[in-house]
Amino acid sequence: MLLRWQLLGIISFILLWEIGALLVKSDLILPSPARVAKALYQLFGKNFFWLSIGGSFLRVFEAFILSGLIGLATGTMSGIKPQARAFLNPFIVGIRATPVMALILVAMFWFPAWQVPVFSAILMAFPVMHTSTEAGVHAVDKKLLEMSTFFNVPSSFIFWRLRLPSALPYILSGAKNALGLSWKVVVAGEVLSQPRMALGTGMQEARLSIETATVFAWAIITIFLCGLSEYLFGLLADRLSARFQQSSQEEDQDLS
Amino acid sequence: MNIKIDNLRKSYGALNVLEDVTFSLEESRITSILGPSGCGKTTILNIMSGILQADSGSIIGIEGRKFSYCFQEPRLLGWLSAEDNLRFALSSLFQSSPRTNDIELRIERFLREAGLWEFRKFKPSQLSGGMQKRLALARAFAFPADMLLLDEAFSEVDLRKKMELMEDFLHLWKDEEPTVVIVTHDIHDALYLADQVIVLSQRPAIVEGTILIDIPHEKRTFTSSELYGYEKELYRLLGLDRTV
Repeated sequence: MLLRWQLLGIISFILLWEIGALLVKSDLILPSPARVAKALYQLFGKNFFWLSIGGSFLRVFEAFILSGLIGLATGTMSGIKPQARAFLNPFIVGIRATPVMALILVAMFWFPAWQVPVFSAILMAFPVMHTSTEAGVHAVDKKLLEMSTFFNVPSSFIFWRLRLPSALPYILSGAKNALGLSWKVVVAGEVLSQPRMALGTGMQEARLSIETATVFAWAIITIFLCGLSEYLFGLLADRLSARFQQSSQEEDQDLS
Repeated sequence: MNIKIDNLRKSYGALNVLEDVTFSLEESRITSILGPSGCGKTTILNIMSGILQADSGSIIGIEGRKFSYCFQEPRLLGWLSAEDNLRFALSSLFQSSPRTNDIELRIERFLREAGLWEFRKFKPSQLSGGMQKRLALARAFAFPADMLLLDEAFSEVDLRKKMELMEDFLHLWKDEEPTVVIVTHDIHDALYLADQVIVLSQRPAIVEGTILIDIPHEKRTFTSSELYGYEKELYRLLGLDRTV
């Protein structure tokens, strides 16, 4: 039922786009959906297109993993130690307030073209992971902590068996947001730094050749890949969350 | 050696909770601390276990003793199975003892005695409220200790479940007979389980009186006529013997 409404939404959007294109009457400003579909089809036949998808995917993956690891480490420290939170807070606030474009431009002075999008995405996505992890670790049930302390549970057990599972829903939610942000920042970084084999580079080259339909085609592919990776990660996150969920699961026997 | 709680005082800011609490505990016996809600019973347990510090007073005879605690709420980790909850609480023993198998056997023994062995792979959310309380009891008993502290461990369940829980408790207790302190506001819990009942006043708490119950546990029921005299005395000490 909801799928039907989703399809209706997509069709309405394409219709509006078509009407807009008919009114504007210029492929240079707003190409029609059919024109963009044709450009997309042409891209499918090019090796460069597939290599670009692979290149961008690797950059997003690298940025996502590194920002995740850094955010997990700093977020955990902040969640446990107020001193760590106070120490890290100015950095996090500073990074959050930095415009993405300014960061990419500065990174272009420091790194080779292929590293600029990765560096920028790490710096943009890690505060998201940091904040979610910190909130999750901080939200641990204090009574469970008191119980653990009473039974002299070693701190490594408290971390792996209590703090981490408690924080998991927060961490997974943060990771999903960080993944989406990584795609956006990586592609923006590629547009400016133009590394080889990159969606953003393809987009920029199409813009320089004044091929608006091809720019649209690259953008649609970026949106699709970002959405797909967020969806797949969401499935993985749901499975992980379900394992740690406290509420009873439908498939299990419930004696309550 | 008996344990003596001597002139214990505790305040939370301006709120004076324990005024001057003095009583003794007998070794390998069950003592119940009975008093109205909010009178400072849990505070006494927390001071005994070291969770809290008293403002003044002393506890003599607890040096070197190991404590176990059954909290008012089960305090179980929802994502761990019943047996993993026990492993978690006993994890300090896994680190200090090379004989892992002994600890595993201990976990099995107490899960069996609490009637939870068949449900060892179940998560707390898949267990009923009464079973969760039994699991918390099994955990408290499985943790090797000379003294066991129970904070309203039999509250918030219906009467039938409460009786089952109490029977489970006595069954588990008889295994190693640790010294037990049970905090409760329910006269019947105290009458059914305790060898000694310490009655506290309203906050700030002082000891109103102590009664010894010399009827063996196996002869006690909720309707035992032998308990009637003790019940009357407890009502009197609590100031509840007046007509409504």
